[in-house]
Amino acid sequence: MTPFTYLEPASLEEALALLAQHGDEAKLIAGGTGLVNMMKQRLVRPEFVIGLRALKPLADIAEHDGLRIGALATLRSLESSAAVRRAAPLLAEACHHVATVRVRSMATLGGAMAHADPNLDTPPALIALDGQIVARSRRGERKIEADRFFTGYFETVLEPDEIVTEILIPAQPAGSGTAFLKFLPATHDDYATVSVAARVALRADGSIAEARVALGASATVPVRATAVEAALAGKTSDETSFHDAAALVLRSIDPIADFRGSADYKRKMAVVHVRRALTEAAARARGPADNR
Amino acid sequence: MRSLKLTVNGTPVVREVADNRLLVDFLREDLKLTGTKESCGVGVCGACTVLLNGNPISACLALAVHADGGQVTTIEGVAEGDRLHPLQEAFLAHGGFQCGICTPGQILAAKALLEANPHPTRAEIQHWMMGNLCRCTGYYKIIESIAAAAGATGT
Amino acid sequence: MAEASRTGKALGQPVKRVDGVAKVTGRARYTGDFDVPGVIVGRCLRSPHPSARIVSIDTRQAKALPGVHAVLTGADVPDTLHGRLCRDVPILAKGVVRFVGDRVAAVAADSIDIAETALELIEVEYEPLPAVFTAEEAMRPGAPILHPEKIEVGAGAAGGHHAELLMYPPIPNVISRLRLGHGDAASALAGAHRVFEHSFTVPGVHQGYIEPHACVVAIGADGIIDIWAANKGPHIARAQMAPAIGVPENRLRFNPVYIGGDFGGKGSLMDLVLCYHLALAARRPIKMVMTSFEELTAGNPRHSASITLRTGLDHDAKIQAIDARIVFNGGAYAGFIPGPTLHGYSELAGTYRVPHCAIEVLRVYTNTVPRGHMRSPGAPQVQFAVESHIDMIAHEWGLDPLEFRRRNAIAEGDPTPLGEQRRHMRCRETIDAGARVFGWDKPRPPGVGRGVSIYEHPSGSSGRSTVVLTMGKDGRITILLGAPDQGAGFHTMAAQLVAEHFGLSMTEVDVVLGDTLSTGFESGAGGQRLTMTAGQAIADAAGKMKVMLAALAAERLNCAPSDVRMDADGSFSASGTIIDLKSLMDWAASRGKASLSAKGESATKPPDVTGFVAHFAEVEVDRETGQVRVRRIVTAHDIGTVINPILHQGQIEGGLVQALGQAMCEQIVLKDGAVITALLGDYKLPTIMDIPELETVLLPGGPGPAPFETAAIGEMSNVAVPAAITNAVFDAVGVRLVELPVSPERVLAGMSEKADAA
Repeated sequence: MTPFTYLEPASLEEALALLAQHGDEAKLIAGGTGLVNMMKQRLVRPEFVIGLRALKPLADIAEHDGLRIGALATLRSLESSAAVRRAAPLLAEACHHVATVRVRSMATLGGAMAHADPNLDTPPALIALDGQIVARSRRGERKIEADRFFTGYFETVLEPDEIVTEILIPAQPAGSGTAFLKFLPATHDDYATVSVAARVALRADGSIAEARVALGASATVPVRATAVEAALAGKTSDETSFHDAAALVLRSIDPIADFRGSADYKRKMAVVHVRRALTEAAARARGPADNR
Repeated sequence: MRSLKLTVNGTPVVREVADNRLLVDFLREDLKLTGTKESCGVGVCGACTVLLNGNPISACLALAVHADGGQVTTIEGVAEGDRLHPLQEAFLAHGGFQCGICTPGQILAAKALLEANPHPTRAEIQHWMMGNLCRCTGYYKIIESIAAAAGATGT
Repeated sequence: MAEASRTGKALGQPVKRVDGVAKVTGRARYTGDFDVPGVIVGRCLRSPHPSARIVSIDTRQAKALPGVHAVLTGADVPDTLHGRLCRDVPILAKGVVRFVGDRVAAVAADSIDIAETALELIEVEYEPLPAVFTAEEAMRPGAPILHPEKIEVGAGAAGGHHAELLMYPPIPNVISRLRLGHGDAASALAGAHRVFEHSFTVPGVHQGYIEPHACVVAIGADGIIDIWAANKGPHIARAQMAPAIGVPENRLRFNPVYIGGDFGGKGSLMDLVLCYHLALAARRPIKMVMTSFEELTAGNPRHSASITLRTGLDHDAKIQAIDARIVFNGGAYAGFIPGPTLHGYSELAGTYRVPHCAIEVLRVYTNTVPRGHMRSPGAPQVQFAVESHIDMIAHEWGLDPLEFRRRNAIAEGDPTPLGEQRRHMRCRETIDAGARVFGWDKPRPPGVGRGVSIYEHPSGSSGRSTVVLTMGKDGRITILLGAPDQGAGFHTMAAQLVAEHFGLSMTEVDVVLGDTLSTGFESGAGGQRLTMTAGQAIADAAGKMKVMLAALAAERLNCAPSDVRMDADGSFSASGTIIDLKSLMDWAASRGKASLSAKGESATKPPDVTGFVAHFAEVEVDRETGQVRVRRIVTAHDIGTVINPILHQGQIEGGLVQALGQAMCEQIVLKDGAVITALLGDYKLPTIMDIPELETVLLPGGPGPAPFETAAIGEMSNVAVPAAITNAVFDAVGVRLVELPVSPERVLAGMSEKADAA
């Protein structure tokens, strides 16, 4: 690593001031698994590293019209939080699949969003939950829909002077079930070849009220499969509907060939896993009240 | 440079460190606690596993400053004097290691597991320990060792 | 003196490892853990080109950086080339670079951060040259030649009897060509009822040891060069290093270390010679620890291979002849292996009766990472080909693959395919024992496939051991050994054998690892030889010590040494008078003889006792994704006396999971000659969640070539597993994989092709 000055603000206001002051000579660090890795490889060489760990309130998880999750909540705390398992089990499930227990002990949800690695598991889950990311700067606060947050390969809409402070997850639709599938054909500690987060809300007559489908490791950004969602609205909740709708995921994704497969293989796998995730989510929607 | 105040294996430590010092280097070089190893350098293999406030972390991806004010447990802090921890006894009795380089990380990860979940199922052991790679044993005896220690520690 | 019978106090017991407490408490020190006063770090600058001329190197800025003690390029080091047999490895690149990762310059600095900054300040101008990446490309007429100069080849480049070996034959970039065989394969194939030919590709894999290569070199004022190195055979390393740096061997002291895994890959000098030159230039001790990136891109991984097999059979599906063409890709330098080629050919089809056989093995230079040894070098590549080929023949013939193997299994008295006489041929018994436990004949659950593979490997190999036993006045024995225990259990095994010889318990023996100045030659681990090699040296030392003890006892008991009998519990008797060992030694001490010391030596050759293994794999294939899940494996081993059941089983399990990695998820991927699976996020090693259910079947009671009928196990467990898995995939979905690893994409593509063809 190249040398840097570590700054540890005691308050959010102080953090925002430091960020504004140092501009692109500074990087924020939460859990650090992403940033330290990049600094060790000398891919980034900030003059200043602004540590957020003293901002303890930013690690809180509260149930309030859904969930208010502090940006510094670790993936491990989310995986094991009773509130998250109750209000948004899809997020707990996605967190459970991330990397290793060590990464989950350090990595934060806000950090994962800001890092914007398209292979990550939590962004598609957040999209499928209609999540919002709250960003603060000295200029004010704004809420960004998760499916509008990611703009490119490791790029987001965040301005250089903004910090992610919270992730909001609204109360989930009645009669909905969710599922997270992470396709790992090589080893269990790998990045996904494709990942799918799905939510299916059923009406009393069993037909589909609405669906949400988002994919990871399928493009340079996590993707919301709007064509799939549109094709499901109002349909019967059965294999045929899921099969037909899943094929439409190809309109939304643009997989990158890598060690885990060619682009063509990943496309095929996206179709298979979207169908499987929808089937599972619908089954859970039909299941007992505590969805998983 | 900054002054770090933390507890390592129960002992208070105060040291000056460079802002960019990694926790693994701080432990191995500044404190001469060489039981923690560095191998892959990218947080995958788990050889650098230490406990920070009871949670397993990759010391190779943590800045030393991240541990300021915290409690760090390394392999050197697992036994109590000459009394080995039940996990250490179990690894010895069941052959949960061969070359031993991954063993400190395995034992610390397992220690955190048994503290969070004193009677893990085999599947739970495998899921928790997934981040600790071993090239010698094939893992069967690591699972056996942890299961045995869970049986021994249980209340 | 009459011998004691086996006590079973230590031998055969699951005793705890002698190094166990050190390892579970973190006290065991590996090379990177050693702190020598004044030590600084060394790092290399490596070539970004697979083949290039070095036009210029400017190190001025690097040298001027505060905290930098030395910067070396090829111009600053001697022209010496080193290597284990072929001496073609430069200390630093001289004029040309030959692979992406070739060492171009090195710095010695106060910290890794300073060293890395210094490396960034070194300016190198390259003129890229044409490069070759596959063995086929490299052998074509007109291919660029990696080593146009004549390479010095040490003694030991012998092919063995019946073999024709040419070092550096007149084919572009060929390091060695070996031709050997038995009978007349060409005629037998011409006259065979049916002939089958198949080709296979096996990519390289990395040893995957968790401890990267590391070394510390400290040049003492007294002229002794102190070395700590992650090297499993320090005496061998010393013999290579001394001439490479121009000092006598007895000025080098390789100090005791623990090693964090070896699997064949830690037998060469790697950075040692360079480290020495940095220490000279910097006038400070130097520690060099390879990063994981350097290991994965520029270590000495397994050779990749292309293999074509032609087998001719008679009307009864009995094998008449096998012709094998094996091409190993050796990478840019040949010096990382001790032989002219890999030994894997020598057990080709060794489980079968093959009256005629012809093998050609080529080892070829390419502009890629230089290859080394890895657990049974060459054998996994060859056996993947053989056991897939056999399976393909069986299926095409319409025979059950297990039945086909039984029909052709080698039996006692049959020569091997290469015409050697081995004994203790329990091939059919091993197959049958495994098949029974696996339930080969039981109905398959739907969607499940089953496969089998078998392998034969002599129970030891060439090596030399020296062991010194010293018995103190308290009757305790100290065992002085000359090579580290790289994890397979050498030191614990030695303690158990010694305890067994003298009727002692494990608490009465101590193992000490000495340095190379204080110990005699020890080859160390390799080729699953230590049980035999060290076992014989221990037996030799024990025998000598017993003679000394008999003489003492005779003096004490007032009789002739030939009248003394040593009992199982270690006491001595003659004509009814008994004295225990401790009392005898105490008495000897009072007579001025406080300790006894005996040196034992051995020099072994590959034994004629051989061992067999049969692997049975059960897989499930997800037909929509091609994902293969290995559900369970049954592995049957025909074995000798087990010294320590935990260590023994550990070798079986560890080897199996390494093979699983080679079969399912590991692959060194090259792009334009560079290794791009460069970090553990990309080069995937199996995790604890990836292992199948495993059941081991042991066929005990076989003879072993080593004392107490002990035998080898370390290289039995990994070689043939991949074919069992791919054979099971074929059984499940009819897709034949002739290339590793098993990739779901290939399986899916195979299933589509089958569907299209139908």
